[in-house]
Amino acid sequence: MPIAPPLNPGKVDWSGENPGILLKNGPDGPFTAMALFFRIVYSPVGRGNALLLYEDPNTERSLPDVCNVMMSDNEELGRYLVKTFIGKLAAFAEAPAYRALQYTSIDNVRTKGDPRSRYEELVSGGGIDVQMIWEKLGEPKAIELPPSLTGPKDRELFTLLIESRKAAIILNGEPLKGELGNRTQAGFETTTAFLYFAETWIWPE
Amino acid sequence: MPERQRNPINPGKVEWVGDNPGIFLKETEDGDWVSLALYFRVVYSSQGCGKAILVLDEPGRAEGYPGENNLCITDNEAMMRYLVADYAQLFPAFRGSLGLHAMTYLPLESSETLGGFDDSYSEVVRGGGVSLRMTWRQIGEPVAIEVTPEHAVTGAHDMYNIFIPAGQAEIAIDDQPLTGRVIPRPLFGQTMNSAFLAFSETWVTPPNEA
Repeated sequence: MPIAPPLNPGKVDWSGENPGILLKNGPDGPFTAMALFFRIVYSPVGRGNALLLYEDPNTERSLPDVCNVMMSDNEELGRYLVKTFIGKLAAFAEAPAYRALQYTSIDNVRTKGDPRSRYEELVSGGGIDVQMIWEKLGEPKAIELPPSLTGPKDRELFTLLIESRKAAIILNGEPLKGELGNRTQAGFETTTAFLYFAETWIWPE
Repeated sequence: MPERQRNPINPGKVEWVGDNPGIFLKETEDGDWVSLALYFRVVYSSQGCGKAILVLDEPGRAEGYPGENNLCITDNEAMMRYLVADYAQLFPAFRGSLGLHAMTYLPLESSETLGGFDDSYSEVVRGGGVSLRMTWRQIGEPVAIEVTPEHAVTGAHDMYNIFIPAGQAEIAIDDQPLTGRVIPRPLFGQTMNSAFLAFSETWVTPPNEA
């Protein structure tokens, strides 16, 4: 629930959308494929779209062999997100793929569907076509977390979570392997596929 | 500073989510609103997703387009009628507006976002042979807002967003600017400009308001 005063005394870092799909090799197995999409409406380095894709999180390789990439239509934004956000999320930063990450460009981004039923983000650029599909979507929840309950642990977070119980990452027409796992966020049991909308990260005063 | 304690999951019902910048213009600070515009990019609502700009060139006249330039161009008319009925008509600048209830709805054919926050930023929609443009200039620093029903403009919701004030702004129909200028106004217990970018906005009905 909102707390007084109406104006948060912190400094807005970035704001936008950040849906993701993390696939695993069985409920307790390692991650097999990971994707985070960003549609940023405000950041200190401008607006833009970005997609972090680990085709194989467990290998320290990238293009042309493996599609472990940060795609963006604003490279400064892509690098900012990797440095200040993704690098502070253990599941992403500790993966060997993080150390080999290459930066590529986005030519086209398109959204399809409705987050009440089935929703898609379609991203393409440089010969890479990625389709993220979320289905079996739940009721939206408004979430507000103090820094200690977030992944990076250094900023407050306001966001909307819509969980998905069926999801896929399609790379150049082929589904990446793996299945959804479970995770807990702020005491709430959910899955590793999620739509995060209206997401704002705030540096506390 | 000690960490501010929170209830991490709002127990209320999420109503709609998206971006909702506005431009409200007056000729003089103590006069009536002469030109009003709202942009919507909605990613979640009970009526689905969609995009729209609504413009009231004559907020006080109960007539729509083409008699008066009171119109809304949208790709989801049902969503916009819901947002007008349950939200926009309760916004202080729109309260009692006859033009809001009489405005014409036209189907959106195309839209684009232009510019950046360093210079000028615009949202444009086109449909039915008309183009609507909202342009913000002298764009300031963002502040995160979180309000309970006591401070929400509807009086009934929790609301979260980021609010970026603009010192100068323009509403244009077919590239012809409407009259009026940005003025300071009271909002959330502060003085804020009547032109603003409002992004990542979430409206929630608390359990005791349902």
